[in-house]
Amino acid sequence: MATAARLPLPLPATTSRAAICAQCRKATLNPFKRRRFASSISSAPEIYDVVTVGGGPAGLALLAALKSSPITSHLKTALIETQDLGRLRQWSSPDDQFSNRASSLTPSSVSFLEKTGAWRHVSQSRVQAYDEMQVWDAANDATLQFDWAADSQRHNAPPQTVATMTENTNLTRGLLERITELGADSALFSSTNVSSITMGKDDANADGDGLNLSMWPVLGLESKSQSQSQSAGSDVSTTIAARLLVGADGFNSPVRRFAGIESHGWDYHRHGVVATLTVQSVPDTRHGGSYSDGDGGFDLFSDEPLPNRATAYQRFLPQLGGPIAILPLPNNRASLVWSTTPQHATYLKSLSPLGQVSMINAALRLSQTDLNYMFTLPASAPDTLDSELRWRLQHTSPPPVARQPPIVTGVQEGSLASFPLRFRHATTLVSPRVALIGDAAHTVHPLAGQGLNLGLADAESLASTIAYAVTHGMDLGDPMVLERYGSDRFGKGLLMAGGVDALNWLYQLGSGGDGVLASFLGRARRLGMKVVDGGLVPGLKGLVMKQAG
Amino acid sequence: MKVSPSRQQELLLLSSILRASRPLCARCTHSRSRQSASPLSPPAQRSFSILNRPPPNYPGHVPLTRVERLGLAVGSAITSLTNPYRHDMIAALGEATAQPFFITRLRNRMLSDPTGRRILRDRPRITSKTMSLEKLRRLPEDTVGRTYAAWLDREGVTPDTRDPVRYIDDEEEAYVMQRYRECHDFYHAVTGLPVWVEGEVGLKAFEFANTGLPMTGLSLAAIVRLKPQERQRMFEIFLPWAFANGWRSKDLINVYWEEELETNVAELRNRLGIEQPPDLRAIRRKLKEERRAAKAAREAALMNSTTAAPAPAQSTA
Repeated sequence: MATAARLPLPLPATTSRAAICAQCRKATLNPFKRRRFASSISSAPEIYDVVTVGGGPAGLALLAALKSSPITSHLKTALIETQDLGRLRQWSSPDDQFSNRASSLTPSSVSFLEKTGAWRHVSQSRVQAYDEMQVWDAANDATLQFDWAADSQRHNAPPQTVATMTENTNLTRGLLERITELGADSALFSSTNVSSITMGKDDANADGDGLNLSMWPVLGLESKSQSQSQSAGSDVSTTIAARLLVGADGFNSPVRRFAGIESHGWDYHRHGVVATLTVQSVPDTRHGGSYSDGDGGFDLFSDEPLPNRATAYQRFLPQLGGPIAILPLPNNRASLVWSTTPQHATYLKSLSPLGQVSMINAALRLSQTDLNYMFTLPASAPDTLDSELRWRLQHTSPPPVARQPPIVTGVQEGSLASFPLRFRHATTLVSPRVALIGDAAHTVHPLAGQGLNLGLADAESLASTIAYAVTHGMDLGDPMVLERYGSDRFGKGLLMAGGVDALNWLYQLGSGGDGVLASFLGRARRLGMKVVDGGLVPGLKGLVMKQAG
Repeated sequence: MKVSPSRQQELLLLSSILRASRPLCARCTHSRSRQSASPLSPPAQRSFSILNRPPPNYPGHVPLTRVERLGLAVGSAITSLTNPYRHDMIAALGEATAQPFFITRLRNRMLSDPTGRRILRDRPRITSKTMSLEKLRRLPEDTVGRTYAAWLDREGVTPDTRDPVRYIDDEEEAYVMQRYRECHDFYHAVTGLPVWVEGEVGLKAFEFANTGLPMTGLSLAAIVRLKPQERQRMFEIFLPWAFANGWRSKDLINVYWEEELETNVAELRNRLGIEQPPDLRAIRRKLKEERRAAKAAREAALMNSTTAAPAPAQSTA
């Protein structure tokens, strides 16, 4: 029986199986049945095995993973994206210009991309691995130093990467090129809108030649592109039915809405300010420059025999609404992610580039009192900000980190933007014939840079679940199959989203001004950071690092 | 000297082995790296012993160990309680107790205010040189400068009687302390409180509510030295005034006194939100007169009751 149901299977077998189980599904699917569209769908829709809505990194990674595996490469797949994927594939940028949307890929995400073969197509001259992370808190002098290089030296192991910075566009292009390489271009429905998602019709008749698609999601598609569509010049509308519909369609996921899955959470009332920066690293005074000044002066007792490739910096600013992070990119560029209040985000956007540079440098070094004051200065006078910064630096001790944060010398033109920060988590990742991945399933605070990694891990898990179903001759859209994916990822996603939220909450303590209580809370947090950093509890730091990786 | 790559590899390996085999030295490399990582950070922030006292952070600075600081606080507190006119001890008490939290908070309040920031940038000092009393005396009646000069003349003090700050570790916070100390006489002038223990305690209570410096609060212990009548007056009139006004009014540390010399005192008081307390001198004078009148009346009664003729000159004696 299992062999007979091996995919791709003849359709009548599926329908009969669906008919057997119709009763048990009726209960769960009844609400959608009533929403059935008795409209323009005249002919039977084309049936696909996996239909992914959304051509972001998560959706593309899923497609690349399915197509690169010999078990699942024969599946009939479709990926629907409103944007023109052809333009994304041709994306290119000069070496000194970087997109402001860049993400930290953890080693596990990179290894997944390597496994699918997409990492080779990601332009390696535009990615930056870093093996050190300096974290400190403006409310106290405690620091956290996540230093894989030092850790691996201790165990005489090869150096390991904390994470790799990649522009999202670079990753998207790499995935698209891999999909092209796999010959799966036909699966891409570029510049195509999903006009409707409904349950299909029951066309089964006595003769047994029709299909009962009443339990299947059917998508109405409208192709916008005129030139690239192979047949006609006008809008082409088609309908396709999905054995498994994957929602990779982001925060306002239409697929999630179709499946009736609720998503709970809250808005942080904070904005993430992103930008691409030009930075100049501060000369490292730690070892008296003994190692860096050439191979002649090799210091046997240097803390760091292996040169550090790059360092990420994160400073928590509780009174200003969240942390500021500077993540390294190649060519002395860096990516800024600053979580702050919407008012401050608006202020930063209204500043001239000179003023923005002053504010970012100030945010990395000055006290929160100074920063709060600087945000009250008129945005039209960037010289004032610069003079405030210069004056205050004379009276402020440098950050208590082992490696000083870089000096920001410029903001790439037009790269400073902001977006609202939210927390959302779907109540379930799966429902019959529907699975959610990426932001459609969970939206997290960017302070740990885990959003994209969660999406890629979802894609990896779903791809392996599909492979499992294929090898065991199961129906891809069956809830029993999808439950494997749901149970694998729901807990982990919620743990990560909740953990990041808890961290954010922890670092918002004592943000209510500079009173006694706020100061006390800031100091209490210092104790916690010392515990993590100082190794008072053995293995705790390693655990945190492992979780982050 | 050129080191070949393979040689370098060996050195790397060697250094990692050495590192593993010298656990005792982990601490010394750590401290070394920290020391050089932040050459600008105040050295006195770290703990030290009297044997290796770090260099001063600013001219006149004396870095203290924790034990020394505690001793200074206790000693100066006892001395200034037994002799409230030892202003050097009160100053030392102020410096010993202001760290690490309170003076930082006061500085942050200056940094949150445009005028306070201007003061910290300009760092004006109040001495008889920078503030000519001759000029102040020529200012119109009811200006801050004239009131200040009149107050100095009445109390017989000069702006130069203020000690330099020595025990505050941070150089900018030391200036904040210095500024507070030098402006203290302006607070007297604006509130009109005299320099006697009674007036001083009332003003210290006001300052405690306004600046939050612990020394000003500790000074309230001097209440025990007051006479019962003065103490009653303190609890009924001056302490309620001090806490209500000190809490409600704007930060006095953020007043640029040098720029306010020609401002009307009442207007400045109004702007800061301070009510003038009852004039202690007037109260005392009134009480003294009452006492004298009562005494005279008593003596008159005594005179009437006695049959012997008293000498008329006796009452003036």
